[in-house]
Amino acid sequence: MATNACTPHFTPASPRGLLRSLLLTLPMAIWSVLMGFHPGTSTDPKALLAAAVTAIFMTVLFFMMMRTGTTYRWRRYFFVTLGVLFPIGFIYNMVLARGTMGIPMEEMIAGRTPFCFLAIPLLIVPAALTRTIVFPGSITASGHAIGVMVGLWLAMTLVLGKGWCAYACFFGGIEEGMAAVPKRAKIRKLDPRWRYGPWAVLLAMVLLSLALFEPAYCTWLCPFKAVTEYVTARNAIGLMQNAIFIVLFAGLVIVLPLLTKKRTQCSFFCPFGAFQSIFNKISIFEIKIDRTRCHSCSVCQNACPNLSLSKESIARGEALMSCMKCGACVDACPRQAAVWHIKGTTINWKPERARLMFLYAAWAMAIMFGGSIIASGLFTIIHFL
Amino acid sequence: MKLRAILGYTAAGMTVLVAVLVPFLLMGVFSNGVAALPLHVDEVYSGGPTARAIQMGAYSINIHRPVTPHFLQSEKPFVQLDWTPVSTLPPHVSDVVDVDGDGQPDLRVSFDVPQDAKAPLRVDVEPLNPHYLPMRNVGKEGFSRLIARVDNSILVRVPLAHP
Repeated sequence: MATNACTPHFTPASPRGLLRSLLLTLPMAIWSVLMGFHPGTSTDPKALLAAAVTAIFMTVLFFMMMRTGTTYRWRRYFFVTLGVLFPIGFIYNMVLARGTMGIPMEEMIAGRTPFCFLAIPLLIVPAALTRTIVFPGSITASGHAIGVMVGLWLAMTLVLGKGWCAYACFFGGIEEGMAAVPKRAKIRKLDPRWRYGPWAVLLAMVLLSLALFEPAYCTWLCPFKAVTEYVTARNAIGLMQNAIFIVLFAGLVIVLPLLTKKRTQCSFFCPFGAFQSIFNKISIFEIKIDRTRCHSCSVCQNACPNLSLSKESIARGEALMSCMKCGACVDACPRQAAVWHIKGTTINWKPERARLMFLYAAWAMAIMFGGSIIASGLFTIIHFL
Repeated sequence: MKLRAILGYTAAGMTVLVAVLVPFLLMGVFSNGVAALPLHVDEVYSGGPTARAIQMGAYSINIHRPVTPHFLQSEKPFVQLDWTPVSTLPPHVSDVVDVDGDGQPDLRVSFDVPQDAKAPLRVDVEPLNPHYLPMRNVGKEGFSRLIARVDNSILVRVPLAHP
C-alpha cells in the first residue's frame, strides 16, 4: 500500500475563479432554458414561473459545482428536491385525473397506468419468452406509456450507467434527504453482506414476475407505492399489499436512513439499482482510487451513501459496480485519492477533466428529466399558494 | 496505452454528445424502437382483441377472444363483452348473447346502467352453456370476473368453466 503524502500529483482541490466558473456554467444555463421553455411548453404564467425557478435552480447548482470543485453536496440539493417534489406533482395529477392515489381496475384495463422504470427488469423475461408485457399500461398511447419510458431509460442509461440512481431516480431523493438529517449515524456497523440484498430481491422478483405474470415487485414490495399510486385494495390481500408498502417505506426510506446516514433502500433492497449496476460495465465514466495517494483511512468508505466501497475494492483501486457516481467519496477524501476517471486513461491524469465531462452529460440528463419533474412539483405548489 | 486513452476520451466525448441528443433525437428513436417490437400488453389486463361485434339496435356488443391466463396467474380464463356506446344503452340491459357465434345463445347478461358514470355497477350472468360460469350481483371481484365502465363502454368479463 502506498502511503506517500507528497506525490507530484498531489494538488488539493481549490475553488475556480468566478469568470471561469461562469464560462463553464454557460452551456448548462442555455440547456436549462432550452429544456424549460422548449416549443410546446405551457404558457400558463404559473408553469412559466415554475420552469424559470427550476432553470435558475439547476444552473446555480451547476455553477456551485464548477466554483467549488465539489459535486456531492450540490447534486444532493437537486436530488432531494426531486425526491420531495415528484410525489407532490404526481399525486396532484393523479388526484386531479381520478380523485384518488389508488389505481382503479378501469384505469388498468384501459392501459392508463403510468409506467414506472422500476418495473423494467421484471418485464424482460416474460416479454422475451411470450412477447407479453406484464404491466397494465399501454405501449404507445401517452407520455407515460411503456415505450416512451423504456426509450427514455435506455437513452439515459447509455449516458449515466448506474449514475441513474444519483441523477435521475425520482425516488432516491427522499431517503437521501432523510440520511442527511442526523449529524452522526446511530448505526455505524453494517454487515457488508447486505450489499447482496438488491441482487437477491432482483432475482426473486424476476422469477416471481415470470411465474405470476405480473410485476411482482410493484404489486408486493415497492416502498414508493406509499407516496405515488397503488392498486386500490379490493380485499384482504390488497390491504396486506398496501400495509407492506407503508411498512417498507417507513423502515427503508425513513427510519433506517436516519439511523445509518445511508441510502438503505437503494443499498439493501432496490432491484432496479442492482439491474442498473450491470450498465456500469458499459459506462465510460467511473470512480477510481489512486493507490499512490490512498492512506486507507476509510473516509471515502464511510462517506459513500450506497456501500459501494469496501476495504477490498479500495485495495484494488476501484469502487464496486454498484457505484452511482454521486461524488461523495471524491469530495470526502482528504488526499484526493478518490478521483473521477475515464476508462482507458491513466488514473491520475486530469481527473477534473473526467469529472467535467461526466457532469456535463449527467447534469444535462438531470435538467431534462429531473428538471421537468421539479417544475411540475413547483407548479403544483404555486397553484395551491 | 495511448490508443486506449484516445478511445476512452472519444467514448467520453460521444457520451456527452449522446446526452445532448437524447431529448431531440435519441429518446424518440429508442421509444419508437421499443414500440415497434412485436410485444403486447398482457390480455388479462387488456381483455384481448375483439373477435366480432353483435349489433343490438342502438348499441352493439363487442365480443373479445377468450383470454387464458398464464402459468400461476391467479385469474381464471375469461371472455370479455363490451356494451358500447354507454350513452345509447337503456337504463336496464338484459341481453342474451351468442358468444361463440354458433347460433346458440350462451349467456343471459343483466345489469343496470346508472346515470352517474361513477356509480358502482353490478351484473348477473346466467350461463345457457356449461362452458361459462354464473355470476350473481358481481362488481369488480378480479380481472376475470367483473363489470366496469371504461370510457364509453361497459365491460363484462365472464369466467370460463374450461379454457
